[in-house]
Amino acid sequence: MFYHVGRYSQLMYRTFSIPQRWKLFFKQTWKEIEKLGADSLPITLIISIFIGAVMTMQTQMNTENPLLPRYTTGLVTRDTLLLEFCSSILCLILAGKVGSNIASEIGTMRITEQIDALDIMGVNSANYLILPKITGFIVFIPFLVVYSMFCGLMGGYFISLSTDLITPATYIYGIQYWFISWYVYYSLIKAVVFAFIITSVSSYYGYYAYGGALDVGKASTNAVVNSSILILLFNLILTKLLLS
Amino acid sequence: MIQLQEIRKSFDGREVIKGVDTLFETGQTSLIIGQSGSGKTVLLKCVVGLLDPDSGDILYDGRSLAGMNKADRTFLRSEMGMLFQGSALFDSMSIQENVLFPLRMFSPMPDSDKIKRAQYCLDRVGLKGSYHLFPSEISGGMQKRAAIARAISLNPKYLFCDEPNSGLDPLTSIKIDELITDITQEYKMTTVINTHDMNSVITMGEKIVFIYEGDKAWEGGRDALFESENEKLNEFVFASKMMQRKSC
Repeated sequence: MFYHVGRYSQLMYRTFSIPQRWKLFFKQTWKEIEKLGADSLPITLIISIFIGAVMTMQTQMNTENPLLPRYTTGLVTRDTLLLEFCSSILCLILAGKVGSNIASEIGTMRITEQIDALDIMGVNSANYLILPKITGFIVFIPFLVVYSMFCGLMGGYFISLSTDLITPATYIYGIQYWFISWYVYYSLIKAVVFAFIITSVSSYYGYYAYGGALDVGKASTNAVVNSSILILLFNLILTKLLLS
Repeated sequence: MIQLQEIRKSFDGREVIKGVDTLFETGQTSLIIGQSGSGKTVLLKCVVGLLDPDSGDILYDGRSLAGMNKADRTFLRSEMGMLFQGSALFDSMSIQENVLFPLRMFSPMPDSDKIKRAQYCLDRVGLKGSYHLFPSEISGGMQKRAAIARAISLNPKYLFCDEPNSGLDPLTSIKIDELITDITQEYKMTTVINTHDMNSVITMGEKIVFIYEGDKAWEGGRDALFESENEKLNEFVFASKMMQRKSC
């Protein structure tokens, strides 16, 4: 473990140096925003709408108690989305999509000697390949989180429109009731940390891939598994720090 | 001129390179030959600085690689070109963008001149009109040519080639060999090639270094190659029936 921590730290030290060509760095970052961020919008939309819808239905069906106000469903759906789903669960899902993409891309570049070619040219390969990915995803993750919050709440709203479990007015009242804006910031802070974990850990496994196609597959799996474990660990730490 | 002084390299306690000394002259095509697993790729990686030797030094026109700081190494690398075994072209870029890449990173030229230079290099290696094709759209031979164009785009003083003919048919191999020889003479470069292709050895080997189990077992010119009494070298050189017939 100490071996990995040391090597990861060394890689990050090389990654966070001043880019050799700012113009190329911005161009690469823009590409990564498109590839890692914008391309994740469809999956975020689908997952968020369905989870929001299911959460509304389940909350309503499990809180049919005359002592609980009807708007509880909207309130619970909103807080669950804001506190956990749109940051932690979304990032766990994105760790699979984005993490495997990064690890396999960099891993393939490693085994086909493209990274060696960059090093031979005198290019800081870690900085050139990894920094735009980290920057691009960190810049875009707040949009994904806010988008996921909106889609999740809309999923619940569709349920209120299409079923007679809850009226749209009660649902809207519930999602507005006792709104704590800090929950949004808390979610965004967590997502930024998770975005860093996903991109840096996946880059690490890809960068040090060795062997052939099978090893790139292993690197990709390790990237997703370890990113997910770290996300869960940091979720606990950040919740303790930010909400206690 | 590149001078290797007592280069040693080990992995997990196993010595892979055992104190290699040699000299690669400017304007010459020098070849490192040896069986698979003899350590030639590790030696070449040590020479270009991709691996740090455990001991010994490499002098580039008198400049010690071991004594260089980060800035000096970056400058030295801008003087190097390398052709990798699998070409190592960037998949996400077109052929022209691949050749433009080192120019964009290191050349102070205006953009229009960089494009002209990239196209000149591609024309020089016979890839005129293929500028906008991607590596996946061209043959292995064309990929090697594009990789040579990228390697020479910054007018390097030193050119390194790792198995330039691997995966190519004999005719394309000969063309690549001729191209490397021509470019070496044209640009007055110090060219070092890692190979086990005997045809390349015969046609290009102005200086040949034979590596056996990590050690320099023999060195000399191509003419001396067939007269050598080194048993291991002869085993390697005359392994094929074609070479046996040739020697008769």
